[in-house]
Amino acid sequence: MTSKDMTRVTLAAGAVAIAAGKAVARTDSAAVDKALETLKTYDWGADRNALNPIDQAIIEMHGDAAARQTLEKGLVDVLVGGISRSAQDYVCRRLRVIGTAQSVEALAALLPAEETSHIARYALERIANAKAAEALRDALPKVSSKLKPGMIGSLGVRRDKKSTKAIAKLLGNSNAQVAQAAAHGLALIGTSAAAKQLTRFAKKAPANMKMPVADACLICAEQLLADGEKAEALALYKGLKDDDQPTHVKIAAMKGMLAAASRK
Amino acid sequence: MSHGRRAFLKTAAASVAVPYLIPASAMGNAGNTAPSNRIVMAGIGIGNMGRGDLGSFLGRDDVQYVAVSDVKKGARDDARKRVNEKYGNTDCKTYNDFREIMVRDDIDAVHCATPDHWHAIIVIDACRHGKDIYCQKPETKTLREGKLMIDAARRYSRVVSGGSQRVLGDYRKIVDPCWNGSKGIIKSINVNVGPLPMECNKKGEPVPEGFDWDRWLGPAPWAPYHPHRCSGSYNINGTSWRSFKDYSGGGMTDWGAHHFGGATFAIDVRELEPEEVIFHNEGGKKFATCRYPNGKLLHHNYPGRGNLDVEGTNEKGPSKPVPAYAGTGGIYGDFIDCVKTRRRPFRDIEFAVHTATVCHLFLIAYELERSLKWDTVKQQFINDDEANRLVDVARREPWVI
Repeated sequence: MTSKDMTRVTLAAGAVAIAAGKAVARTDSAAVDKALETLKTYDWGADRNALNPIDQAIIEMHGDAAARQTLEKGLVDVLVGGISRSAQDYVCRRLRVIGTAQSVEALAALLPAEETSHIARYALERIANAKAAEALRDALPKVSSKLKPGMIGSLGVRRDKKSTKAIAKLLGNSNAQVAQAAAHGLALIGTSAAAKQLTRFAKKAPANMKMPVADACLICAEQLLADGEKAEALALYKGLKDDDQPTHVKIAAMKGMLAAASRK
Repeated sequence: MSHGRRAFLKTAAASVAVPYLIPASAMGNAGNTAPSNRIVMAGIGIGNMGRGDLGSFLGRDDVQYVAVSDVKKGARDDARKRVNEKYGNTDCKTYNDFREIMVRDDIDAVHCATPDHWHAIIVIDACRHGKDIYCQKPETKTLREGKLMIDAARRYSRVVSGGSQRVLGDYRKIVDPCWNGSKGIIKSINVNVGPLPMECNKKGEPVPEGFDWDRWLGPAPWAPYHPHRCSGSYNINGTSWRSFKDYSGGGMTDWGAHHFGGATFAIDVRELEPEEVIFHNEGGKKFATCRYPNGKLLHHNYPGRGNLDVEGTNEKGPSKPVPAYAGTGGIYGDFIDCVKTRRRPFRDIEFAVHTATVCHLFLIAYELERSLKWDTVKQQFINDDEANRLVDVARREPWVI
């Protein structure tokens, strides 16, 4: 029996309702509806167990895309309806697991605000759909310096190649945390284009960026090597042999060159 | 401080670059240690377990303890007083921000006993700055963190030790029959441990004076201060950070780091990761099993089986020597000895991560209530997008790994 056989959910007047089923694990639609309603007034200190039916529905609806989309829409509707920070926190955690393109707009709206930016990324970073990456990319130039490192980190973890140039522009940012995050973000993207940006910046990097850029070059080189880009990896390693690098960095570069040389 | 020793520690690329240029005796591990040859250490997160770790390192004559970092001023001040009393000076420096320790070139090694959600950031940063590190267990908070920590340790040739002293210390009655062959061919072992972590929705209270709450949260989602949210109590019943998902894996990772560490040591799969976790639900009784590439099974809460209960063929098999700590002084001495010799410690980060990985695989299987296949090379679940979303979490700015 597939999950689809077990549970079918339809949306009726904003409610999640079970329509059919040779159900083994049957979603309690009334309980889910009640939990979604509870979210509207949920706040810090409220009984977390009141939301458990939503958690359980997520498990039971696995494999039933239609049911999941219905539940997701229920969560998104609550999110855009104006809820407490605690409730936003709960919804974003659930969308981290079941969110699709359907959630992106509502989550993206939370990215610019310092209070909600991270919890929106908590979901968006893990949603594979390209629209999630697009939302993060769009937000990057608009958010404050305080939030930029998070945006860069999420794009880096996603290895979002399209954000390479935008992130590279931040290597010279006057805010050290933004600049360092940019170096690390490029390292995580780990492409030839990212390597070129790191190499270009390394030549003019201020003292406080020497170590972050060296670290980024090493990580990027490892990624390139793993992707079969041996020549580009070697070029990054060779750039780190300069005398002004700390010894442990030079040794790391030397080891990297040996590893690269041993690759066919 | 000896430039020779410092140069050695900074340049010793373990097995690859400059393996054994200087004899160990020259590094001061053959007897009393000259002050100039001591390992210069600092502690990060020095309440609770960190206090104990500090005492263990401070008590060694081959360690010179010079700095502490903690987000609680009271903990910092207590630790400084203790260190200064030991040495009869006022040299110990205190920091709210651990990164100020990382940039100090005079510090060779650090120990970390922060809550779990900080471990990966601190371990990776230590490696990046050329420092060796002893990190309390459970070493990781997510699956992705494990590979990043191993990569950082190997990239910079750092000695990185995990922190479970119980793996070797508590389970010899289980380990020895497995290693000396009397259990025969090992089929499975069971671990009973819990509970699972929960989400915390406690209402905020005023932040105590001298407590940098925002930095305590660090990469975790923002939440209002509540004493239960951040208490270092060893209870896992909703009154300590060990209970909550944002900071810990609950009992599964907290005691699990010990029990699963002992179990994987006993059945000798420390070098492996499971390739499958099988979720069972028998009449509402939920339990799970990890299967290793060599076919060995690691059960969690298997009905009817005791903790660290080994199933073997019980035919006498070949014996092999049980690994031991290097140096003297248990797991702390092992770490310090390895800092000097550049060998890998008993609880090398790779073994520690593999234990934590078991815990996380179980946690994700229980969260999703289904069986999962784990690609040990790609570090991804196979054909399960949802499970792959749980491999890591987005970190709160500015923390990026």
